[in-house]
Amino acid sequence: MDDRNGGTAEVAAPAATFEALLEPVLDAAYGTALRFTRNPADAEDLVQEAALLAFRGFHTFQAGSSFRAWFFRVLTNCYFSRYRKQKRQGTELALDDTPELYLYCQTAALGLHARSEDPAAEVMGRLETEHVEAAIAALPEEHRVVASLYFMQDFSYQEIAEMVGVPVGTVRSRLHRGRRMLQQALWAVAADRGIVAALAAVGSEGA
Amino acid sequence: MSIHPPDRFTCEEVFARLDDYLDRELTPDELHLVRAHMETCAACAAEYRFEQGVLQGVRQKLQRLAVPDGLMARITARLAAEGGKDAAG
Repeated sequence: MDDRNGGTAEVAAPAATFEALLEPVLDAAYGTALRFTRNPADAEDLVQEAALLAFRGFHTFQAGSSFRAWFFRVLTNCYFSRYRKQKRQGTELALDDTPELYLYCQTAALGLHARSEDPAAEVMGRLETEHVEAAIAALPEEHRVVASLYFMQDFSYQEIAEMVGVPVGTVRSRLHRGRRMLQQALWAVAADRGIVAALAAVGSEGA
Repeated sequence: MSIHPPDRFTCEEVFARLDDYLDRELTPDELHLVRAHMETCAACAAEYRFEQGVLQGVRQKLQRLAVPDGLMARITARLAAEGGKDAAG
């Protein structure tokens, strides 16, 4: 309740300083918020809310440390406190049966590895952004949050652990499992959109 | 009972570290051993290249995002209102 604490005036360093730090990370923050919330309106609300909270707590930011990591921690906490409970939806993937190297094995079974120099590029080149977004959105929340911070921002396990408030080992296992589930979801999308059929024809379409 | 030199990783040992290798989370010693294995094991190297390709592909797709027009301006306005509130309080 001390958000209007007038004791230390100009607590909030001039807004211009805060804004100058925020602006370069805003696109990334919005992108991550969109992965967290899964819809644009909530994503914008979340970013605005996080910006406000970060501004109020800006005096706790240590100059010289990473503003980006600090702001993403605020963003993640804000998501957990504001949005998490609303979003237990039934669209999430099951945690069981997430084999390793899923895409690798599927594409190998298609014979793609023998017919292409770069089978991963054959798959990824045919998938659209919306397909990848849909696959991330289908991850269970705790995996989606960790995967979003990782795929979107390339934070280390340690940085993500601090943002999410769980041990590093938990981040590691959620991320590894999330990656396997993501591959499964991507392949399902690829099958739906006829991409698997197209991959089966790679190399035989003409010499 | 297979015994292998402690300065070499087997395929199983490399596979168990593939995710951490992709994520640059291995210790320097492990990193060295994984890289040494990849140089001589085409199968593990192919798996790694594939996983790396998928990871890069996912990242590239996710970077293409349209941030709502005027988002920074709306934030600036809220911060200004917040500042005004502080000044008034």
